Amino acid sequence: MKNKPDSYLHRNSSPRGGALFWPTLKRVYAFSFFLNKRSKRSRLFALLCFFPILLSIFLRVHQTISADTSFDGLYLFTNAILLFVFQFLVLILALFYGSAVCSEDLEAGTWPYLVTRPLPRPAIVIGKYLASLTLMALMSAVGVITSFIILNLERWAELSLYIVLLKDLGVLVLGLMAYASFFAFLGAVVRRSVFFGLIFSFGWENVIQYFPGSTQRFAIIHYLKSLLPLPSTSRFSFLTFRLEPTKPFLAVIALLIITAAFLALACLVFIFKEPRAED
Amino acid sequence: MSPRLQTQHLSRWYGNILGLSDVSLEVGPGITGLLGPNGAGKTTLLKLITGQIKPSLGRVTIDGQPVRGRAEHFFRIGYCPETDAFFEGLTGWQFLNWMLRLLHFSDSEAAAAAEKMLHLVELYDDRHRPIRSYSRGMRQRLKLAQALAHNPEILILDEPLNGLDPLGKRKIIRLIREYGREGRLIIVSSHVLPEIEALTRQIILIHQGKIFAQGDIHEIRDLIERHPHVVSVRTPDSRRLAAELIQQPYVVKAYFGDDDQNLLVETRNRDLFFQFLLEAAAVKGLRVEEITSPDDNLQAVFDYLVGRP
Repeated sequence: MKNKPDSYLHRNSSPRGGALFWPTLKRVYAFSFFLNKRSKRSRLFALLCFFPILLSIFLRVHQTISADTSFDGLYLFTNAILLFVFQFLVLILALFYGSAVCSEDLEAGTWPYLVTRPLPRPAIVIGKYLASLTLMALMSAVGVITSFIILNLERWAELSLYIVLLKDLGVLVLGLMAYASFFAFLGAVVRRSVFFGLIFSFGWENVIQYFPGSTQRFAIIHYLKSLLPLPSTSRFSFLTFRLEPTKPFLAVIALLIITAAFLALACLVFIFKEPRAED
Repeated sequence: MSPRLQTQHLSRWYGNILGLSDVSLEVGPGITGLLGPNGAGKTTLLKLITGQIKPSLGRVTIDGQPVRGRAEHFFRIGYCPETDAFFEGLTGWQFLNWMLRLLHFSDSEAAAAAEKMLHLVELYDDRHRPIRSYSRGMRQRLKLAQALAHNPEILILDEPLNGLDPLGKRKIIRLIREYGREGRLIIVSSHVLPEIEALTRQIILIHQGKIFAQGDIHEIRDLIERHPHVVSVRTPDSRRLAAELIQQPYVVKAYFGDDDQNLLVETRNRDLFFQFLLEAAAVKGLRVEEITSPDDNLQAVFDYLVGRP
């Protein structure tokens, strides 16, 4: 071995307690984003996020071949692309990235590298959550924006269309925020979080929205659908048959509260989280 | 100020399984070896010390301050985990760099420290290779590097010599001893006795979640009254010495070793024995060529303490 390093790294004025929160958040965010974007999981989900683009291309080609004059790009975007995005893509992305926030390091054995460093645990959770959220939002937004453009090529100069797109992107981010924080909490409290997450996503969230009355307000998807354009009464109407939307402002507030509450709970659980004996 | 680590009545259960029971220790600067067989509770103790798990009872303090829940303590602590786990997609360079940035080093500080540390553990030439392509020994050195890189006052090393070849072991042992000489508090766990012996004489013996003994190996040895010390004396006058020794009340047994000149003596009081030997050499002209203590090693002490024959 060569000579040891000098003591120039020793710090007597190390920051304490609360002062560590923001620097930790920034560093964990950067580290987690760096890891996430290179992961196999991200490569797989990036492909999934390209599905709306493929679907849009298919619809376009079909329209060209069949010379369909009734083709309505915005209608197809709202009723096919957004349906896929909110009923499937957002849930899957949020489930896998969100549940990993509090559990992946324990499962992979890399937990000690984080918890034996001067990093407040809530800042670890929030940093990782934000990194996952950024990546999910970027990946899904690319698919949504591209498919929107493909389906509305003829109307590219209409400013009002872009306002619709921006609104949809906002709802997309809100959906990812709410679901990912819920799944982060789930990942912190249960071991097989993906299994329970799948039951929640494709069981609870799918079934409860068709219930009449206020029961559907117990599903996150209810608030997302309340923010999306009301579907037309034609082909896809059966999917939102009984939607009794919440007012948009209240829906946004509800989604923000859900996000904050589950994220806070995830942080709280993570503070006391420990590896199991067998880990 | 030199760091001091204290545990008070530390206990930890995993459900119904006892991980650690009523461990009270005080460890100061220098190297302390934590020795015990697999499953003895070494890793549990080190996880409690580093605040990774919460004690069921008792507490851990560093300089009087509780460890758990105080992230700022980790500026002072370097921890090398036992598990062979890494962020696998990274190269050695990226891993070390990020580990330093998570210690709130600036990018340039992290790069400089990572470079020096990679030189130190002789991984510099392989720094851009993915960790997954590293050998077990290289991974072990990288784990150690991340624990040492921020120059901590306290080093907690869980089985740091696992998987290293003899040459690698020797280098790491030399490095740890060098750090120990600088007044750092170092706790090294191992289930391999010669490893601990090569590092320190200050040991903690742990078995079934309990501390069997703590202190200098000689002191611990002295505690075991019913297990006499074995001293080997090499002398051409071995038979004469045996005849003299067997009359002493503190000598339990005297017998011959490999050859006629090697006398093995079991004594209950090592001090009186050595005093007698000195007098015999000085007064009676006894020629003593070599004195060794074949059982003055951790294996013997450990065997006695856990009741092995």
